[in-house]
Amino acid sequence: MTDLAPTLAAMLSSPGWNDVVVLAATAIREPRLTGSQVVLEVSAHPEQLDGRLLVVLLADDHADWRIDALISRASAAGAGALLLAGVEPLGRGAQLLAERLQLSVLGCPDPLAAHEYLRRVTAEPEVLRSDLVLRAVSALRRAGGDLNAVLRTTADVLDRPVTLAGADGGTLAGEPLEPEERTALATSLPRVPVAWAAPYRIDLPSGAVLLAVAVLGVGPVCWLVARLPGAVPAEVAAVPDVLSVVAPAVGERMALRRLELERDARQRTSLLGELLHGEPSEATRRRAVDLGWQLDGWHTGIRIGAEGQVDVAGRRADVVEAFDAEGLRAVVVEQGDGWSAWITAVREPTATEVQQQAAAIRRVQRRLVQTVDAYVGVGRVQPGPSGIATTLAEAGDAAGLARGRAETGRFLHVDRLGLAQLLLAWTRTDTFQPAARALLAPIKDQPGDLVTTLAVYLDTESSVAETAAVLGIHRNTAAARIAKIQHLLGVDLTNPDERLALHLASRTTPTE
Amino acid sequence: MSTVVRERDLTALVVGVTLLGSGGGGDTRAFGRMLRRRLGAGELVLRDAADLPDASVSPIGVVGATSVLMEKLPGGGEFDAAVRAVSRWTGTEVTGLMPLEAGGLNGLTPLIAALDLGLPVVDADLMGRALPRLDQFSWAVAGRSLTPCALSEPSGQVIVVDNVDAAGLERAVRSFVAHTGGWAVLALAPTAVEAATADAVQGSLTRALALGRAHAALESDATPAAVAAGLGGRLVGAGRVEEVARHLIADGGAAFGRGSMCMVDAGSHAVIRIETENEYLLALVDGTPVVTTPDLLCVLDRRTLQPIAVDAIRTGDEVVVVALPGPAWWRRPDRLAHVGPQAFGLSCPPQLLEAS
Repeated sequence: MTDLAPTLAAMLSSPGWNDVVVLAATAIREPRLTGSQVVLEVSAHPEQLDGRLLVVLLADDHADWRIDALISRASAAGAGALLLAGVEPLGRGAQLLAERLQLSVLGCPDPLAAHEYLRRVTAEPEVLRSDLVLRAVSALRRAGGDLNAVLRTTADVLDRPVTLAGADGGTLAGEPLEPEERTALATSLPRVPVAWAAPYRIDLPSGAVLLAVAVLGVGPVCWLVARLPGAVPAEVAAVPDVLSVVAPAVGERMALRRLELERDARQRTSLLGELLHGEPSEATRRRAVDLGWQLDGWHTGIRIGAEGQVDVAGRRADVVEAFDAEGLRAVVVEQGDGWSAWITAVREPTATEVQQQAAAIRRVQRRLVQTVDAYVGVGRVQPGPSGIATTLAEAGDAAGLARGRAETGRFLHVDRLGLAQLLLAWTRTDTFQPAARALLAPIKDQPGDLVTTLAVYLDTESSVAETAAVLGIHRNTAAARIAKIQHLLGVDLTNPDERLALHLASRTTPTE
Repeated sequence: MSTVVRERDLTALVVGVTLLGSGGGGDTRAFGRMLRRRLGAGELVLRDAADLPDASVSPIGVVGATSVLMEKLPGGGEFDAAVRAVSRWTGTEVTGLMPLEAGGLNGLTPLIAALDLGLPVVDADLMGRALPRLDQFSWAVAGRSLTPCALSEPSGQVIVVDNVDAAGLERAVRSFVAHTGGWAVLALAPTAVEAATADAVQGSLTRALALGRAHAALESDATPAAVAAGLGGRLVGAGRVEEVARHLIADGGAAFGRGSMCMVDAGSHAVIRIETENEYLLALVDGTPVVTTPDLLCVLDRRTLQPIAVDAIRTGDEVVVVALPGPAWWRRPDRLAHVGPQAFGLSCPPQLLEAS
């Protein structure tokens, strides 16, 4: 059964040996303990030990010369190590002798318990396994409702740190993982786990072992990870079974939490929807107060958009945390593929304060980069309940622009300049102008100055009569030109998107 | 065959009895100086029992805390008082002296007493080395009574003890010295020389003299092996003392300082540990017992080769440890039980050198 023999270092870090101390260490050899042999007294003469631990139940005096003699006999009998009752330090002679004979000497207040544990991990791994699993099951039944209680209970049963980690190795709950453990975890675990796959074992260079079991449930996959400082084979075999028992319970707790999150998010989103539609009713105000939202005062809207698939409800906590970390008390609401947020001030902020706030929001964005690929727009300061809608609209527009502008760090603050100026500024960029020219190319060299006609038509809110008046032409001429433009460009001018694109393009081309 | 001791032999004799002390037996220097003064230009004959066929010899020596001797000095009349007391009690004139113990200062005290009292000295003693307890007198081991006997202490108090066994005598002596000056002269009953020496170790002082001369003949830069060979013993090891541990244990009313010292042999790097009480008792090399009482363990200063006593050894001393054969008298299984390691509470069978 040598494959079950743990190293001495691993045993020393194992839960059954918490109270075992090293009285004399040998750096050179790292013995494997093949079993355990008990003798009553230090005067015992052990027979052949073959790497087993020699346990002495009675050893009152650790400075006794008979301990030196026993070290000598144990070494000659091939002991893996020597464990004495008591934790008093050895005499210098015994220490020197242990070092010379390369026999580690351990001490423990309860040597029989240490012996029993070693015997169990070397000879009866199934007993250890079933014991741990049964204890986990009965402890889970008593564990409290939340996720942390489940993880804590599991950690107590295993006497090992237990972590709930994301697919990238980031800690979601429980004991935080070290950076190198996180890296090792992320590289070893598959992106898409298979439900019936065996638990994963990751050996770290330090000799520690991570054991991971997938938690499958709603939302992205995560891993239940137990960290063993040393690899005791029986324990390495037993822990995954415990984790497999715990994993569904963790999944259930996560689903419940998810449900709460979703419910809260829905509540917030619907309330924001009502706020955005004009003056809030009495009932809406009351609900806002319930959620702790301050409707009066001066609001600065912030729109945080996220690239790719993002769990908006699940990640809201990260966003709130990022704002808190920068000292900003922001209301954060899940909306679409990102979050809408606003910061309320009692009085109108000064220009400097607005600048400082914008800088702080920028730092929030940088904090979020670790979890979310975010682009951020910030609106102007607006007063009153309706101001929330206004500033959020500006922030939304700004965010839309910020998304394509890597040169500003995908951050845009609508400051004193209005949004229109910003848009115009954008139309003068090198990227937009060629696109605008290409868009208008079909009507450029046509008779009847179609480009100017289009510009005027769009400026006059698509009024043919007004266009004719501005250009000093007949109403029918104007209508014919519009029809021709629509035909040549192949567009429908009643479509707002297309109209906007053409409008912007017609603003930029006449400057040439 | 008799041995004659003159002034020039005294240095060797003092070193010899110190070596027989096996680290115990008390400091011999003070009595060495006293003996040198008493002897002057004269000579002292260490006699064989056969030379004094009609003598009644009394074994004599100092008992109690020999370390107190350095503070509570002898008054000069203690030997006389003890010998007179035991003569008077037994009604037998003491016509010769013999040492109680050959190791340590008690190898010298009978010689001083003999010079003071003008009595001959028989070279036979009851231990052949230094041992801590009265029940380890060869007479007691051989079944001979130690009483009647007389004790006298420096301020003049004298007691005579009779009708008690060795353990009882031990208790009487301990309580007497504890309540007086810390030490006393013990004189046993005068006994016909043939009977007195039948159950005694013969020739210990002659051996001490030979050992001292061999010690004096050692080169000052002798290797540890050469030192051991020169003294006729076995080298246990040589190196630096790593640790000296001492603790008191209560043992039948008499508290002996149990302790140990450990060192690493400079050549083999073997770990050497020596268990001590009043004497060096047991030497282990790499955890294996190699020498035990009644053989002699001598710890010598590496540089000066002077013997170091148990209470003088210190961490950091550079020492040579040599084992010398103990008195042949003890090498019988029934006698070994009284002076072997078990007699000192060390659960280990006696490990003796090959008889020389």
